[in-house]
Amino acid sequence: MSGVLVIAEHRHGALRACTREALGAALAHGSDVTTVVLSDQPERIAAELDGVAPNLTLVEHPALADYNPEAYLPVLADLVGSLAPELVLLPHTSQGMDLGPALAGRLGLPLITDCTAISANDDGLVVRRQAYAGKIVETLVLRRADTTILTLQVGAFAEAAPGLQSVTVERTVAELSPRHDRRLLEYVRAAAGDVDIGAADILVAVGRGIGKQDNIALAQRLADTIGATLACSRPVTDAGWLPKSRQVGTSGKTVRPKLYIALGISGAFQHLAGMKGADTIIAVNKDPAAPIFKVAHYGVVADVLEVLPALAQALAR
Amino acid sequence: MQIVVLAKSVPEISEAELEINAEGTGIETEDLVLGINEWDNFAVEEAVRLREAHGGTVTVMTLGDKEAEDVLRRALAMGADEAIHLCDDAFEGSDPATVARLFARVLRDRKVDLILTGVQSSDANNAQTGVLLAQELGWGYATLVTKIERAGETLTVHRELESDTEERVELPLPAVVTVQSGINEPRYVSVMGIRKVRGKTIEQLGLGDLGVGEEQVGAASSAITRRSLSLPDTSGAAELLEGTLADISHRLATLVREAGGLS
Amino acid sequence: MVPSRPAYWEIEPIWLFYALAAVAVLVFGAGVARRVVGWRRGRAQLVLPPVGRGLEAVLRDGLLGARLFRGDVSAGLMHLALMWGFIGLFIGTVTVAVDHYLVGFLTGRVYIGFSIAMEVCGLLLLIGVLWALVRRVVQRVPRLSCTADDFVVPIWLLALGLSGFGLEGARLVAQEPAWASYSFVGHAMAGAWPEGERALTAYRALWWGHAVASLGLVAYLPWSKLMHALLAPATLFARDAIRTATSGDEEVVRFGRHQLLHGDACVRCGRCDDVCPSTGAGEPLSPRACVQASRRAVTTAATLVAQSWYCTTCGACAWACPLSITPIDTIAQARRGLIEDGAHVPPQLAETLERLHKYDNPWVAKKGQKGAWQDRSANPAQAELLYFVGCTTALDTRAQGIARALTAVLDRCGLAFTTLGKKEPCCGDIARRVGELGLFEEHRDKTEKLFDAHGVVELVTSSPHCWDTLAHAYPGERRAAHYTQLLARLLEDGRLTFAGKLDSRVTFHDPCYLGRHNGVVDEPRRVIRATGAELVEMEPHGEASLCCGGGGGRMWQELPEQGQLAQRRIRQAVATGAEILITACPLCLIMLEDARKTSGLEDRIEVRDLTELVGRALEV
Repeated sequence: MSGVLVIAEHRHGALRACTREALGAALAHGSDVTTVVLSDQPERIAAELDGVAPNLTLVEHPALADYNPEAYLPVLADLVGSLAPELVLLPHTSQGMDLGPALAGRLGLPLITDCTAISANDDGLVVRRQAYAGKIVETLVLRRADTTILTLQVGAFAEAAPGLQSVTVERTVAELSPRHDRRLLEYVRAAAGDVDIGAADILVAVGRGIGKQDNIALAQRLADTIGATLACSRPVTDAGWLPKSRQVGTSGKTVRPKLYIALGISGAFQHLAGMKGADTIIAVNKDPAAPIFKVAHYGVVADVLEVLPALAQALAR
Repeated sequence: MQIVVLAKSVPEISEAELEINAEGTGIETEDLVLGINEWDNFAVEEAVRLREAHGGTVTVMTLGDKEAEDVLRRALAMGADEAIHLCDDAFEGSDPATVARLFARVLRDRKVDLILTGVQSSDANNAQTGVLLAQELGWGYATLVTKIERAGETLTVHRELESDTEERVELPLPAVVTVQSGINEPRYVSVMGIRKVRGKTIEQLGLGDLGVGEEQVGAASSAITRRSLSLPDTSGAAELLEGTLADISHRLATLVREAGGLS
Repeated sequence: MVPSRPAYWEIEPIWLFYALAAVAVLVFGAGVARRVVGWRRGRAQLVLPPVGRGLEAVLRDGLLGARLFRGDVSAGLMHLALMWGFIGLFIGTVTVAVDHYLVGFLTGRVYIGFSIAMEVCGLLLLIGVLWALVRRVVQRVPRLSCTADDFVVPIWLLALGLSGFGLEGARLVAQEPAWASYSFVGHAMAGAWPEGERALTAYRALWWGHAVASLGLVAYLPWSKLMHALLAPATLFARDAIRTATSGDEEVVRFGRHQLLHGDACVRCGRCDDVCPSTGAGEPLSPRACVQASRRAVTTAATLVAQSWYCTTCGACAWACPLSITPIDTIAQARRGLIEDGAHVPPQLAETLERLHKYDNPWVAKKGQKGAWQDRSANPAQAELLYFVGCTTALDTRAQGIARALTAVLDRCGLAFTTLGKKEPCCGDIARRVGELGLFEEHRDKTEKLFDAHGVVELVTSSPHCWDTLAHAYPGERRAAHYTQLLARLLEDGRLTFAGKLDSRVTFHDPCYLGRHNGVVDEPRRVIRATGAELVEMEPHGEASLCCGGGGGRMWQELPEQGQLAQRRIRQAVATGAEILITACPLCLIMLEDARKTSGLEDRIEVRDLTELVGRALEV
């Protein structure tokens, strides 16, 4: 087993940035890195990998225009079989969560998901990941016996720096042999809400710690006072207290405001991914171990419902 | 429709401060309460709703210790018809691949149309078991599902992607579907409801019943040779504001003004 | 000639009357039977009160209509006139029947007296009915419903009254008895009738008309709101009946017989809606609608699903109802059904119940937090009683003030007490109020065991909710008091004394579970006066107090704009000119404090618990 295989991810005809992070991780681990692009127009995707992916394997078929595991699996199975890499890397995204375990199951290979660091020691491959909603860090040592598949946490690895000579190793037209008839019918974009939280300079975001729907009014008032837009984390939209258009996170929106005030948000990874690029992050949460404090610049360990009125008073002066 | 739901018993950690045990191999669970994995709860509710709409039976299955039985009882009170408990000391420490293999052994010879489970569990966050099971059974599957509709032998499901986008996917039965939180609003289960299903028999299966050797289960069967836990590194993290509430609010107000707020 | 009146004078054929009467009785019987069958579908659930208490209620609220005068004196007078006019005339008819069929005695002076009495009753009836119609049609009193049934009944009675006097007038003209003037109303109307044969014809026509109308009313009675007249004695008698709760092993949760009977007795007067804090705040809940919806004997009727969770269980509806119908009880039963069913339980409430189940309190998903408020390390060896703090007082930062204040006061009085600290269980009151009886029973059993293990014989608690449950829904021989009762007792015993006077003007908000549900109205006031503070009363106060909106599980739900109920109350407090609003319940304290802030009244009034006032007074 040697070398690393990176599975490129694309959507709507464009490469997704997480692929470059996977490449960064791969190149940090070893130099023998192959990137496979499955697409109806793989050259177009490959062009975006120019200079960051040393070896490219392009697989073309009209049915590969959009992600479908049934189309991907036989091709990847073949490729892993012939390449016999030490590692297969792909991002831990909606696609990675769907494809990774299927590939592992199909080939009987070990899989560790949502990894944040990769290294090796005498005992074997060492990977780090989070558990218990980010409250615990796991360090795992794996046997060196098989090819190991890893899905990588988005944002945990630096993107590969350009400057390599990209070489297209293989270019094939696939013969698809899906085992099952899973079919993508269409993409559905959520209806644009009344508000574009992505455009706001200041965001006041509420999470589960806001307690009840009524209290959101308090946060709204704070937002109005300081000229901010109201946003939220997933539990608040799941509960139906605010529309999905206000949700910050991987399945919602990624935002980069000047100021992000997180009220009662624990900082589940999916949320952090959506806001950690903000210039200044202030987090209020009564749990001192809340993961949000890792990305926040300033933190207050207190009950949101106490801080809100006090802050409103302080701002009134 | 014959539906099977895979549910896991997990410690409730949302408001808990976790501590790691002395060996560093697990968390201290003494003060923690166990309950059904939140995602799997959505799956149980979805299964019961599908049965209410289309008829059939719902069987809930778990792999866990004796206490995991509470999860099964709760699911029965929610409306599941039958329950299966894979329970054996030897199963402890099994990784998702092993668990999927064990589930497959149980289900292979039974008439099942649809298997539902949560996207992931709130403790391990692996998000593997459902899809691995689909591969073991040789079935189609879909993950991160936010809506399920059925027409005859085909499901149409919505999958949640990034950035406010979803896929609409057609998936013929039999299939495995992992459901995302928020797919429905699970019904409340009353204490009376749980009492009412007290008499229902739960099918108990151990190592021997599954025809599997001890070396094929438990920690030994995993590719992971060592697992150590630690608390996240909080250095370089947020500057915690101290003092009275008034002091803190004052400091926050200053930060807000510096960032251009209060316009 | 001796004054008397022959029955059926100049009327034939009499067998026709008997035939019509028979038909009327049959229809009446069928109507009653249908109702009874409906009630029997319900569960037998009452343990009746002692006869004396029941009869007292029937007398006071039934015959005197005492509750009708509350807040609406004209309604009380109107109904008294109408009811006694009708009852009088009914007794009169029975008397005439007895006189005709059994023992003739209506002669001479007896007859004259009888005639006069009947005139008075007829007049009362007419006055009452006309007044009722004026209230609905001219005054348009808002709470009154205006369905067809609501008009049919008074108009029918009006027709009966007028035809009765009319036929009397015609008869007097035709008969020309010497004592005609005693029947003064009919006599006055006699001028309207032509002489001789025409009067007789008019008389006969009116007699048959009146007969058909009367018999018709008898037949119609069980199909209309008039049924309340027959049912009132039952609903009033059973007012203090003990409802045996449905327990965890019931197969189907459905309405009790008494609740179905209530549905039939309800005349839709709307007094319950008028006093309901939720209705008054513009929320969807209408106790009247819930009682009416319960008639279909299905606990999950759409109305009940939509409205049940708004109820604060304050009991104002039952307190106001002139027939002692208990919408609070109907809603409680509906909630049990909704909990059983599970699909219509608001998610916040479901989470709260889960927390209660797993972490023994409704507030935090963490064990062992209940001792955090207190500094005392050990319990005294010889304690007089247990201070049962309660979940809200122990865990909510504002309400913790009550515990600290009370323990300081008790220490000052030299009263040795114990607390259970972080081992204190939840009494289960919330589960009980929202209909999760299974969960309540679990908590009750666990708390009982703990009390027994600690040898708890007497306890005091800061929450009237806990107190009501511990004192009335727990078995065992324990004495449970609310702290206002304890402080009043300490005051009497001279163990609680104040050196100086508090120079404050205060008003007192009676918590529903203290005042209205349990009649503890004087004790808190005695304590307040003892501190020297000047007490001014809000309107309403005492048993009529307006609920703050925190009960019935509402503290743990997220109903839209639910602070409104408390906002209404705090505005009433401000209107008294008081500096401090005092209350004696942690939920009231939290709701009123929130309302004070959200109404922007922070500078106008303070909100304090009674223990905090006492604490302050002791410092003077």
